[in-house]
Amino acid sequence: MNETITNLWSIPLLIVIPILTAIVVNLLYNRGRAIRAVSIASAAVLLVISLVSPYGFQWFTGQPGVTYDGTYTFNANVFSWKLSLEYYYGPLQQIMISVMSFLLLFVVAISTKSLKKNFGPYIALMFLTYLSAAAIMMVNDFYHLWIAVEIGSLLVAGLVAASGGGAAQKAALKYTFFSALSGSGLAIALALILGITGYANITDAINSVRINDLSGMYNVLYVSFAFLMLSWIYAGGLAPIHPLKSDVYRSAYPHATVMLQTQSKLTLVAIGLVLLRMFGTLPFAREAMLSISILTMVIGIVMALIQTDFRWILAYLIVSHSGLVTVGISLGTFRGIVGGLFQAVNDVIYMSLLLVCCEMVLYFGRGTSIKFSGGLAKRAPLLTVFVILGTLAASGVPPFNGFQSELILIQAALEQGLPEVAAVILMVSVSTFIALFRAIYSIFLRPGDELQQGSERFKLPGTTLMFLVALVAITLVLGIYPQLALNFLTESALKVVFVPWVP
Amino acid sequence: MIELTLQTLSFLAAALLVIIGMAGMLYLDNLIKKLIAFTLLSDGVNLALVSLGYVQGGIVPILEPGASLSDFPNEAALIFGPGIVLTNIVIGVSTTAILAALIVILYKRYGTLKASKVLKGEHE
Amino acid sequence: MIDAFMTVAYLMVIGVTIGAVAALLQKDLLRAAYISGAESIALAFLFHALLAPDLGLTQAIVGTVLMPGIIILAILKTRRHEESD
Repeated sequence: MNETITNLWSIPLLIVIPILTAIVVNLLYNRGRAIRAVSIASAAVLLVISLVSPYGFQWFTGQPGVTYDGTYTFNANVFSWKLSLEYYYGPLQQIMISVMSFLLLFVVAISTKSLKKNFGPYIALMFLTYLSAAAIMMVNDFYHLWIAVEIGSLLVAGLVAASGGGAAQKAALKYTFFSALSGSGLAIALALILGITGYANITDAINSVRINDLSGMYNVLYVSFAFLMLSWIYAGGLAPIHPLKSDVYRSAYPHATVMLQTQSKLTLVAIGLVLLRMFGTLPFAREAMLSISILTMVIGIVMALIQTDFRWILAYLIVSHSGLVTVGISLGTFRGIVGGLFQAVNDVIYMSLLLVCCEMVLYFGRGTSIKFSGGLAKRAPLLTVFVILGTLAASGVPPFNGFQSELILIQAALEQGLPEVAAVILMVSVSTFIALFRAIYSIFLRPGDELQQGSERFKLPGTTLMFLVALVAITLVLGIYPQLALNFLTESALKVVFVPWVP
Repeated sequence: MIELTLQTLSFLAAALLVIIGMAGMLYLDNLIKKLIAFTLLSDGVNLALVSLGYVQGGIVPILEPGASLSDFPNEAALIFGPGIVLTNIVIGVSTTAILAALIVILYKRYGTLKASKVLKGEHE
Repeated sequence: MIDAFMTVAYLMVIGVTIGAVAALLQKDLLRAAYISGAESIALAFLFHALLAPDLGLTQAIVGTVLMPGIIILAILKTRRHEESD
């Protein structure tokens, strides 16, 4: 693994292009076509950049590392103190950011088509959400991790509030109040880590913890771990804070929720890996993470089962499947981490499929409540096929991608001697099927009473149809050839397990 | 017996600010009051971070011309806390602005500032 | 040895705490915003005493003008007095 020894060109572009697009789109007042053209072009450029970019580092302060004798080195393999803000673009970052760019492209295409009013600021918030998730994914520095998490949570609030409606604004207000609490906690954690180790760079901090004698300072480490975990729970919407996050997921427009859930999955992965790298050797650290994950899975799925609205069911399922991602990461073994990361990729894709179907149900003028709807299957047969495929993927039925990652997760749990965890994972996938099928039966398949008057078929818009076909294709391809995605993930998982100080 | 230096006192003040702010955010019923409580909370966190770097009888960490280089590391206050606080102040301002905007929007919709009335009704 | 500067610093510690409580006990929201601004002045002085003068300047501007300004704008757009009941 010979890393590039010059600064990578693609990382600044991935940061700067969303910001520039946000500014330009914001300035284009009431010019829908121009906004549409600019945002789609920008999202396409981001997708191309994330796909073709080589792997490597970007040092924003110019100097890559300082060796023991005080000289600078450009070689990533020589031991050196980094001392600088460091961004890393590797295989894990590539697959995550490519998937997110792909989703952004279609989400922007759909939302600019379906919104009628002036939507420049809304699209700008979308791009900034992308930016914050990409930055959290790539950064190797506690300080900028903190800033990216803060920006990300403010943007979530903005995006939800922009989706209109009193419920959305309430959800945004509550979410922002708690973001204020957890952001302060993250600042304190950062200060404590800086105080103990002396370095903000994660690589340096881990090296410093391993080299220096920290006996007598473990309580400080635990406090900073607790605060970091608070922000992990908060940004990803894990168990004790799940009502806020599911509120957010359900009250935004479904296409905005596609971006929101992608951002929170990426944040979960990134902060989870940082927690594992920095605190994985502390006693009880992984156990704490594991118990939070199991709690999230169980509570999320139970809440999903008792809901009576398709949007609420999806919101709680997203929360519950976040638990599936974190359970893999917090197992801490190679197979567990690979399973968690793969689950994050799959989850983002099949949940987007279901969310876009939900958006279409709303677009056809139907309520998403289970009680007062039915008979959509006759009028929109194609949509019914897509939503059933999405359900099968989400509940881990073999030819789809959910099966592969859940299989890896169950194997990892059994390998660790934790059959209970494997049972919970199985229960989540079965209950997902029940919860979703209940909604689908009553919205699509059940013969509706008042719906019989119109008999013409609903037509899916072209962009949405393309998006749905592409998502189904990806779920099938990843389900049949999981190696396509696993090749990107194994290297990162190996690094986290064996050389945690390497980003 | 802990000596009541400026550092311990300001830690105490910071802890009080955090507690007052958190209690205010949780228990006060007025949304604007909650907002003010949040500014107090963030002030408390800032104060704690700044007091972490204080050195008794130290100097401001700026190397002035003519100062001795050997004493500087021992005397100067630590700068990691202040470095974070500067960002935290900016984040506090932006959070306050977003919260204020949301409060105004919600007031126009519901005609009240009482949190118990505005924020109720999760499942409609 | 406690000089005048330090005495003021100790007073400011007390002032910050009292200001925080006083701001939250007001029924008049506008007055609460002013008091939180005054508390910020005390905090800015305390930052200065704690050897961070740059932060003192920032806090003095942000805490006494910008933050209360935003809050006062919000109050002007909503209502001035806290609702009883």
